[in-house]
Amino acid sequence: MSALAAVGWEARWLGLRTIRRFYRVPANPVSIVLFPLIQLFVFSQLFKDIVQLPGFAGESSYLAYLAPGQIVFTVFFAVSWIGGNLLYDYRSGFLDKLRVAPVNRYSILAGELVPLFLECAVMAGTILALSVLLGAQIATGLPGAILILVIAGAFGVAWSGVSFVPALITKNEQATGTLSLLLFPIAFMSTAFVPVALMPDWLQTVNRFNPISYVIEAIRVLMSVGFDWPIIGQAAVAIVILGVLLQGATLAAFRRLTN
Amino acid sequence: MTNASRPVIEVADLVKVYPGGRKAEPVRAVDGITFSVGEGEFFGFLGPNGAGKTTTIRILATLLRSTSGRAVVAGHDVARDPAVVRRLVGFAMQTVAIDIMGTGRENLELIGRLHRVPGPELRRRVDELLELMGLAEVGGKLAGTYSGGMKRRLDLASALVHRPAVLFLDEPTEGLDPQSRTTLWEELLRVRAAGTTMFLTTHYMEEADRLCDRLAIIDHGRIAVEGSPAELKRGIGSDTVSLTLGGDGADGLAAAQESVDRLLAGFEPVASLERTAVGVTLAVRDAHAAIPEVLRRLDGDGVRVAGLSMAEPTLDDVFLRHTGTRIRQEAADRPIDMGWM
Repeated sequence: MSALAAVGWEARWLGLRTIRRFYRVPANPVSIVLFPLIQLFVFSQLFKDIVQLPGFAGESSYLAYLAPGQIVFTVFFAVSWIGGNLLYDYRSGFLDKLRVAPVNRYSILAGELVPLFLECAVMAGTILALSVLLGAQIATGLPGAILILVIAGAFGVAWSGVSFVPALITKNEQATGTLSLLLFPIAFMSTAFVPVALMPDWLQTVNRFNPISYVIEAIRVLMSVGFDWPIIGQAAVAIVILGVLLQGATLAAFRRLTN
Repeated sequence: MTNASRPVIEVADLVKVYPGGRKAEPVRAVDGITFSVGEGEFFGFLGPNGAGKTTTIRILATLLRSTSGRAVVAGHDVARDPAVVRRLVGFAMQTVAIDIMGTGRENLELIGRLHRVPGPELRRRVDELLELMGLAEVGGKLAGTYSGGMKRRLDLASALVHRPAVLFLDEPTEGLDPQSRTTLWEELLRVRAAGTTMFLTTHYMEEADRLCDRLAIIDHGRIAVEGSPAELKRGIGSDTVSLTLGGDGADGLAAAQESVDRLLAGFEPVASLERTAVGVTLAVRDAHAAIPEVLRRLDGDGVRVAGLSMAEPTLDDVFLRHTGTRIRQEAADRPIDMGWM
């Protein structure tokens, strides 16, 4: 069996275990549907009339504007505790048990990341479905919607490093939670809620380097404009850079923990 | 087929030094250990916590790299070919490591899949193992709902699902009640009867005595002595005879102890005499033969023997002889690593 096929085989069975562990706690499947719904509902009501401000030129409703931001925002929050799973396996000795079996280290991470991709896609799908139900339209139709789910999943996988790294370094759940909390301003300062034109100058400059904003903008054009490939490409680049940096750090921390 | 005379585990000059940090000195956990285990043998490490047992077993199971020395398991060097070794060994760790959100059956199937046991064969083996471990009826229940003993047995089953040539057991009955412990011992002997080579670490003397064909007494990272339990106990050379002495009050007891000391002086089989709160304890060579003569000598001079008990040497005595301490007194648990403290 080639190395890649081996990783695929191992990740498949480990991933199935991850999914089982997820849905057997009823709070999990309930919250991945409810959490995005509550987010979308609360914020759409809160900022209902904001579209009348001049910076929102061309936006018919705040809902259409808000949904893409909410997709990324929800994924951003949802992955912030993912490192705890690996930590639990580490502490219980289950990780050692996997390491005594003929299992590649990368398979163990893949067994967490593949289900995470699906989880993020489900949350994104929930928001899209509700938005459509409430009257918003997806300019790119079904292919665009699928691409949105893929972007959401890929972003979640890349961004999950912000939870894995502190978990693997501190080996402590609370520290993992509080450290990833420090990054929340990045989401709030993005274009999730207000267009960049309405931001103060310094924030506009900061947003040029905010990967979250690129991902949000890509989903936004898919939803309200069309397949604007340069903008989608920028998001892809942002996700790849995030993924290489954060998952690279995760791998390094994981190697250190398991050596 | 492996040649029966060739060792399945071969360890030479194994050393593990945990590097020190800002606040900690380096620790020489394993300090030059050499031993070998033959095919089908049940071999054990007996020693207190912190003696280097877990470190050694983790090196042999490829979870830890040694600082120096060589370890070959099932024909493969654990440092050079860890991936091959992993296919050939099973490891039941000190802490029960099971997926509590999976059923007993799912736990075994996951490990079997990772070991590439083909589907139909896997189902057959899982049924067999659940039956062997007395878990057949609860195989479909979440492992998190199992009792301590059931979790242990499931953990052991998961180390067997790929039919390993060597089974490593690190303190397999730690934390179990006496009844579950006896049940698990029976299961381990059954596994061994199927031809599996077993390597056990324990700090329970009774466990080592009951299970091991051969054992090494390990303390401070070194092997103090090695042999079969019977050999080791025979090596002590004397049995323990405890006498309860009649006598009025503390003065009476002291006088009786004095008399016993005087009367037995020069009687060759009595190697030593120790005063206790109720009488004396003697170390007597071949006590079964020597006791009548001991009693004859004590008869008269006002010494009244109110009670007598005799004990053959235990592994604790062997431990004391070779390390200068008793196992029980050495329960020095090491704190867990928090990462930053």
